[in-house]
Amino acid sequence: MRVDFVKSVSEIIAEDENSIFVTGDLGYAALETLAANHPRRFLNAGVAEQNMMGVAAGMALTGLRPWVYSIAPFTTYRCLEQIRNDVCLHKLPVRIAGNGGGYTYGIMGSTHHALEDLAVLRPLPNIQLFFPCANDHVAAAVRAMSTLSGPAYIRLAISAFSTQWSHLDENPLTLTRRYSRQASPSVTVIGVGHGVQIALRALATTGLAHENVDVFGVARFPLDLKSDAALCESVAASRRVLVVDEHYLSGSVGEALRLALPRARHFEVMAASYSPEQRYGNPEFHLRQCGLTPEALSALVGDLQTRPA
Amino acid sequence: MTQSITSLVADTFAIRRKFLRMHFEARAGHIGTGLSCIEILAYLYRVWMREGDQFILSKGHGASSLYATLHHVGRLSDADLDSYYKNGTLLPAHPAPLALPAIPAATGSLGHGLPIASGMAYSYKHVRSTPQRVACLLSDGDCNEGSVWEAALFAAHHQLDNLAVIIDANGLQGFGRTEDVLGLEPFADKWKAFGFAVREIDGHHLGELHDALSEPPHRRPLAVIARTIKGKGVRLMENKLEWHYLPMNEEQYAEALRDLDRDEGRVVP
Repeated sequence: MRVDFVKSVSEIIAEDENSIFVTGDLGYAALETLAANHPRRFLNAGVAEQNMMGVAAGMALTGLRPWVYSIAPFTTYRCLEQIRNDVCLHKLPVRIAGNGGGYTYGIMGSTHHALEDLAVLRPLPNIQLFFPCANDHVAAAVRAMSTLSGPAYIRLAISAFSTQWSHLDENPLTLTRRYSRQASPSVTVIGVGHGVQIALRALATTGLAHENVDVFGVARFPLDLKSDAALCESVAASRRVLVVDEHYLSGSVGEALRLALPRARHFEVMAASYSPEQRYGNPEFHLRQCGLTPEALSALVGDLQTRPA
Repeated sequence: MTQSITSLVADTFAIRRKFLRMHFEARAGHIGTGLSCIEILAYLYRVWMREGDQFILSKGHGASSLYATLHHVGRLSDADLDSYYKNGTLLPAHPAPLALPAIPAATGSLGHGLPIASGMAYSYKHVRSTPQRVACLLSDGDCNEGSVWEAALFAAHHQLDNLAVIIDANGLQGFGRTEDVLGLEPFADKWKAFGFAVREIDGHHLGELHDALSEPPHRRPLAVIARTIKGKGVRLMENKLEWHYLPMNEEQYAEALRDLDRDEGRVVP
């Protein structure tokens, strides 16, 4: 997703002379061209994220529109108060990018995983959150962020997702993607951001495609279910929802969906989880370790189908 | 001291009286911290600030002295000032976001002002190439925060000579003397080591403020360590930690005003 992100943001920087790219000393083999093309509007702020976010707020107070980039935990948790006070409370057009959402930094270890990023940002005033479902979803999110007059955050997954299952359509407003459509679905599966990739693998490999399920991927918070009529119609028909979210449950978008979709009689969330005994490996290993697998998802769909609608 | 600087003395008395009235009527604390920076604010708003220049109050707990100063220079209305501390006001104890055109940033959590000011100064100098300058007022307690020193590295690295940092060094912070809580000395050496031009002055002396702030250094940010007295101008409050918190009663308010009258050379009955 990083390649797609840099490509899209480079277009914005080229188009908008008030946009500036600020990195927290990351971007090797990714940001060099952007830096060379726009030396006045590219800044490496060093490894000092609190200052970086405050600097971005100060820049925005002078009319600039900064894109602030680092690894997701560093550009969220480390400078949360700067995001809250300096950026959000002032409704400033600071666009924050966190690379490595979820477990996608894998073997880099716990410090580099971002499993609470959306939870800590979700309650903040004025901010909009974007979490693309796939590499080819990033450009639309960046474009949407660039039109906002207030703050935004984008959760990027570094993993290069191959498109195993194409989407049928994409809501231009909410960016919600639909991956499977049934006349009267028995279960509505909703993936949060790149978490939907687990459901897509289930569609491709576990036989889920032969089940009577609708599959959606949501990509934006606050939710706008009035605009997401297709999603709501699916839930009204199935009354059984399964959310898959590569994020801890507490504070997740999955939890927000549970509150927002009261018509679902059965509601399950497959989320990331922590264990003090956890081990480290590639992203795939981490997903398996906490049960976020296509097989588990298919089994849970089967279980939901046995419950009375 | 030039005539115009001398005339600022009258401004400082007027601002102090306004400030004390606000605090007395509101029964509000943070008096000592406000009194220590009134000469600095009067100098900035009467002399230093030019069209388009920006001021960031990093020591957000000094908001009431900023409100009094802004009102004194005609940038805050009577109605706004009268609402200070009351329900429904846009003038709470620490500056609010998006509330007043004269105050660009909400502060109150320490360590936020200098990064914001540095971002503004960077934008003016390196992106927009405009002549605006930025002043930022910090407290001792502010300088406990790591983000201040991140910003100091940043400002010096980017040669922000359009940035003036002023530290209202009254030597007292939230729960003790700075030297006992988290010592900052040698303070001037710290700023120098970070790459700032450093000027250490009596922060209540308008001539010294003028000398320190009127000639910006070249390709370096400026740090003015303004040695001040917490509670300055009101004898019963000077250098006393408790006046970070206490409101005044009627008797104390009367005594405070008598101190100001005496110092200004007015006849005290």
